[in-house]
Amino acid sequence: MTFCIHPTCFRHSKTPVRHFALVVICLIVVGSSLGSNADESTSTFQIPSEIESLLKSHCSDCHHAEFAEGNVDLGSLQNEHAAERLEVLNKAQEQLHFGLMPPSDSDDLASQERATILDWIGAELKKHGASRLEDKLRKPEYGNYLSHVDLFSGQNKHMKAFTYDRRWLISEYIFEARFNEILNHKPYKTIDGKRQYVIGDNNRRVNLTNPFLLPTRSGVRYYSNEVLNGGHLLTMLTNAKEVADHILYLAGRDRRYVPAVYEIMDMQWSQARTLADREKFLNQFIETILVSIYQDKHTAMLPKFERVKIRTADSSGIKKSPFHAAQPGARELVVLYHAMEKHSGNTARDSEWIEKCERDWFNHGDSPRTIQTRLTFLAGYLDEFREQVERHRYAKKHKPPVYRPRSDQEQQEIEAAILAHRNPGDRYVEIIKKCLESWKLEFEAERLAAGPLEQQKVDDLVIQLYQLLYRRDPSVDELNRYSELTQKYLEQLGNLAGIKKLIQTLILKTDFVYRNEYGTGKKDPDGRQMLSPRDGSYAIAYALTDSSPDPELSLAAAEGRLNTKGDYQREVERMLAKRDQYYVIDEAVQRLQLTASITNTPIRKLRFFREFFGYPQLLSIFKDNKRFGGNYDNAKGRLVGEADRLVDHILQLDRNVFHELLTTNNFYVYHSGDNDAMIAASQRVRDIYDHFKDLEWENFTFEDIEKHAAFIQEIKMRGMGRNPKDDLRTFKTIMTSFRSRFDKGQTTAAPFDSFPAHGKSNADTRTGLQLRSPEVAKFFNIKLDDWNYPAVQPSPVQHRKGMLTHPAWLIAHAQNTETDPVKRGRWVQEKLLAGTVPEIPITVDAVIPEDHQRTLRQRLETKTNDNYCWKCHQKMNPLGLPFEIYDDFGRFRQQESLEHPDNLIKKGPDKAAPHVDLRDTYKTLPVDAAGVLKGSGDATLDGEVANAIELIDKLSRAERVRQSFIRHAFRYFLGRNEMLSDSRTLIDADQAYLDSGGSFDAVIISLLTSDSFLYRKEKAD
Amino acid sequence: MTSNRRLFLTGAALGVSAATLGKQQRSVFGDAPATGPPRRFVFIRKSNGVRPKELSLPSFTDSQSKRDHDKDAFRMDMSQHELPAWMRALEPHKTHLAILQGLSCKMSENGHWSYSSVMGAFKSGRNSLSGIKRATIDFELAKLSPSPFGHVELSLTGNYSTFRTGIVPGYSAPGAHQRNYCYADPQTAFDELFKSVAHPDAVASDNAMLKFLQQEEAYKASVLGGYEKLKISNHVTSIESIQARNREVEKMSGSIAEHMPEIDAVHLQGGNNATTPEKQKAMTDILIAALVTGLTNVVTYTIDELSTPVKGLPGNEGDHISLHELGHNGGYSGVSADDIRQKVRVGHMDQVAAIVERLKAVPENGGTMFDNTMVLYFPENGEGHHSHGTEAPFVILAGDHCRLDIAGQYIRLPYHATEGHKTIGNWYTTLLNAYGNPIAHYGDFDLEMSRKKLHQSGSISELLA
Repeated sequence: MTFCIHPTCFRHSKTPVRHFALVVICLIVVGSSLGSNADESTSTFQIPSEIESLLKSHCSDCHHAEFAEGNVDLGSLQNEHAAERLEVLNKAQEQLHFGLMPPSDSDDLASQERATILDWIGAELKKHGASRLEDKLRKPEYGNYLSHVDLFSGQNKHMKAFTYDRRWLISEYIFEARFNEILNHKPYKTIDGKRQYVIGDNNRRVNLTNPFLLPTRSGVRYYSNEVLNGGHLLTMLTNAKEVADHILYLAGRDRRYVPAVYEIMDMQWSQARTLADREKFLNQFIETILVSIYQDKHTAMLPKFERVKIRTADSSGIKKSPFHAAQPGARELVVLYHAMEKHSGNTARDSEWIEKCERDWFNHGDSPRTIQTRLTFLAGYLDEFREQVERHRYAKKHKPPVYRPRSDQEQQEIEAAILAHRNPGDRYVEIIKKCLESWKLEFEAERLAAGPLEQQKVDDLVIQLYQLLYRRDPSVDELNRYSELTQKYLEQLGNLAGIKKLIQTLILKTDFVYRNEYGTGKKDPDGRQMLSPRDGSYAIAYALTDSSPDPELSLAAAEGRLNTKGDYQREVERMLAKRDQYYVIDEAVQRLQLTASITNTPIRKLRFFREFFGYPQLLSIFKDNKRFGGNYDNAKGRLVGEADRLVDHILQLDRNVFHELLTTNNFYVYHSGDNDAMIAASQRVRDIYDHFKDLEWENFTFEDIEKHAAFIQEIKMRGMGRNPKDDLRTFKTIMTSFRSRFDKGQTTAAPFDSFPAHGKSNADTRTGLQLRSPEVAKFFNIKLDDWNYPAVQPSPVQHRKGMLTHPAWLIAHAQNTETDPVKRGRWVQEKLLAGTVPEIPITVDAVIPEDHQRTLRQRLETKTNDNYCWKCHQKMNPLGLPFEIYDDFGRFRQQESLEHPDNLIKKGPDKAAPHVDLRDTYKTLPVDAAGVLKGSGDATLDGEVANAIELIDKLSRAERVRQSFIRHAFRYFLGRNEMLSDSRTLIDADQAYLDSGGSFDAVIISLLTSDSFLYRKEKAD
Repeated sequence: MTSNRRLFLTGAALGVSAATLGKQQRSVFGDAPATGPPRRFVFIRKSNGVRPKELSLPSFTDSQSKRDHDKDAFRMDMSQHELPAWMRALEPHKTHLAILQGLSCKMSENGHWSYSSVMGAFKSGRNSLSGIKRATIDFELAKLSPSPFGHVELSLTGNYSTFRTGIVPGYSAPGAHQRNYCYADPQTAFDELFKSVAHPDAVASDNAMLKFLQQEEAYKASVLGGYEKLKISNHVTSIESIQARNREVEKMSGSIAEHMPEIDAVHLQGGNNATTPEKQKAMTDILIAALVTGLTNVVTYTIDELSTPVKGLPGNEGDHISLHELGHNGGYSGVSADDIRQKVRVGHMDQVAAIVERLKAVPENGGTMFDNTMVLYFPENGEGHHSHGTEAPFVILAGDHCRLDIAGQYIRLPYHATEGHKTIGNWYTTLLNAYGNPIAHYGDFDLEMSRKKLHQSGSISELLA
């Protein structure tokens, strides 16, 4: 008897060569990861006799000497080097823990024997800090390895729940929200016609790189296991510099922002403002001042005028670039305008006033290149510039500055400096520069004379930066240490650079990048302490949002009103009910086709289902437009956005949430989410069509259209009236498109645009942008020219049942060019049945063979139905194959298209209007979507299914499925895997769901008021 | 094949820090070649496409010309041929020059811009961060050729009117969903790269800060245990690795001082008055110095982008030229768009030639630094201003120790979506395979090739030496 010890390969193997390779690879890959203390001499290692005897009787048949299966020889453990021995022990630990060894056809280990071996291996690995299993079991993908029955049977309900004290690395979302808070970035959007503050729009002025990215997989992504690494810190180093610069910028603009910065910098910044003011004043009016000082001697002191040459060329036959592509920038245009205003008034010829301008610029000391660019522009675009000046009302918007002398003292100061520094032949910028330098020296002397900073100001700085960055006061010890550090920075670097360095230092501490969750106060008999009120307030805030606690929650923590379960419930209920805060759901979706990816549901509640279902993974799957039959790239953003909207809709109703998500046949398809607006938009299309439909509009002339000008203007027909010469063509394009939406007996039409253009659209998003990408309907087998458009949505769609039949989920769990029953089946097994699937063995070539005469199912079965593969694939294929009634675009099908050049029947058009199907036609074979449900925990539900609809129907009725949702919700909100001691928390959450008629809010409240959430325990080393 | 993919993915997952950490940590991510000098790569991205016909050799025979025009695959020695006029600066380096035609880049973004996607062979969903699917090819190569900075990115881009300045988001990606920083003006690049010599006080204050942080966090770690201790001690280790890198750079200060370029005062404070050619020249000087000093072995340089203002172009000195408008055939001061485009490319070739010449002048291991260098000049978006990605021509200069058999050759590969066609994914795979990453295929597949069931995985074996 032989067996392999690799954790993912439990084949009862007869092919040692293959396993040899496997183990060697494993050793290479992981060998370097073992701790340095793994180099200990072999001499100290001893196998206790009890263990030796167990290994001999249960393992050595296959793992001994020359018969060592997988090249693993347990008999020589004692003689191995420590690194190799620990590697073998690690594998053995995993195999035994997951019940993969001994194999099913060999003598089983008694549970006590198994425990004995595991205890010994665990202790041995712990000595060296080398256990990988512990790390693995912390990961979400191993969450299901804890027995579902043990958690929900009630047998462990008596155990006291808790979470270990922990630091939790901030997520990509918290990173963004935290810096938005710190840097006062408050973006607004117009939503449903109202201006709303939106969280999650991270288009800041400051350029930061987010290093805390979450993994891109279906399922819970944000766990407290993550540890900061060198990459994170290196990125944060640059971020810290950028942030420090911007904090100082903000502090300079608003003294309330960090008052201590302002106070420390007050003198310096005041001087800087004076310098900037004088510089601006001189740049604008130096000529006037010089004339006033030097009177008739001024001209003689000017530099000798040297003209700049510009190229004059014959442009005939050359397309001249338009004004906007040749103008030198908005600021320069204002300079040109002011110069033109100054000199062109009484001058008849352009060349004369332009020369005067040039002389001014020369005297001022502008770069010859700049002058050359201005002159070239005026030579080529003067007429256009004059037209722009009129059109954009420069006279009103950019009035030339009017000279007003400064106060007597200031004016004297300025004139004295000029008198001291002007030399004959100096250009104005040279005079200004010399004046500024002398003033700078004076100011520096003033600062030195003012003496060192008072300690109180330094302390205030540290306290206020702690409040800004950590939202808390420093402890006495922290204040002392950081004040001392600050003094050093200020002495060595000067005030501005010193403050900047302090900010950087604070951002790079673990306090900034980790969130703390520690217990405080008296321990209960089980050694548990409640979360400190401050940590508790953050735990609640980050469970429901990405932001720090809101003012009410912070106040509750500060005032001692966050100490009981009831306190937590009050705050969680309040925050769940909150609807006055909008969030961007997904910036990537928002960017694609202007989709309004917004919600006022607390963002983490919605995000749980996004992560659980994993449909946003669609965004990284790119597909061939030809195979889609339209523009897939444009439509995919809308598809994800509308999947979000459906989930949000179900969450807003908050009734039978899991069941609804799995079984609803109502979907959003090309809809903004505003029913009233969509009804109006659809009716408008109808009104336009009805107005013209009986008027032989196909033969209209421009004059015919003119007769309907009042109607066209009133109804704002898209694209009409801007350029009369195009109106006839535009009109016919619109009417042809509208006719196709009504000529098959349709009663309502989707209000999509007939052609792309800027400006008014037939329908808008809730943020007032064009509602684009009607081709999203094609995913649902809906033909745009044969669609009774349901303006009130969500509304029924044929052949669909819940999120697992939403094209977004189906595409996200497919490949670029074909479906993926294995991926889909694995998702069902792990997410709905709380089941486990071993990792794919590294030696497996997981490629389905090509054969264009067979369906994907047939090809997959060839590959996976042998005994070796089937051990794992039996957990996935029967659950994934029912989804073969949908193709890899999520379209319902009964025939599978055998897409191969040899099977081509008819080629589709390469380009056409949105409603036209561009697909090529291939030979087909019937779809076989039969599958088997096994592992629902309910014998009446387990069994064969004909397709995904039947499978989903059964799944939706299974208690196990409901509980699996609860388990994943637990992981999401707690940031860790379940332990047996969480049994009561899970059962309570499940019961809360049932008692509330399927409210997800009830689940959240139950979880966030559970002992698992509230209590912390120190973890022994 | 699968195991290669797995190994690659393992490396990629660690890739964020791979190119940027100190030697001790780098060994985890990828060791330097066991012997010999490092391999260097310079990627020069340009906007507005490279039109394939612009690379046709004027001395082609009629039949060669026809084959090139018809996109028939062929390969020939260029030694007896004349280069296109705009490439004359490369004439002295013809034996090291390769013109590679026929690659496609449809699996990346096309149209006006490709953002990060053209160097990662993926669709990025415009410029979305979540669309960045993997580390770009330059970062992958940087892992194979470690250095203190690992990877340096430079760019000359703007908002049509003015240039960007300072440290700004770049186009390369150190890993999935990560956007690199880049230096956007010569002075900033100079200050940051040569800080240890140019601004030793700033380096000293950084080091003092890191030392303080290390002590603070080490103290915290000392009173913790278990997994929580690991979290803090990892922080300490990360600080230590950055300190180690800084020490390494400090050790190089002699070499840096020797090779550091002089930056003209016109580039101060962002260099508002500098012309585009002046900015390009200064960036080239910095790029060369970054390689010669050993601060990095991989540089990505966006020499222009559609929004880069073009000022001071010879013959159009007074014009404020929009590269975008050139794509729409707009001329300036009586000079046609085609002529200006040509002048822009001539300027680019002058920079490429300068890089080659300067590296050829630096001795290394009995040869010159250029022996171990590849310079790749290519369009960010494909074959034109509004590209479809069917063609992405590359101009390559490769030293004598190049592991590809391309030098001195004009190579036209089979056209897009035909038998034997190669994508930039194949091309990048070829580079990685040649220089030590055995990945089976880098990048996404071309969907039209997939639909037509044409083979498209792996390296371009005929180019491997």
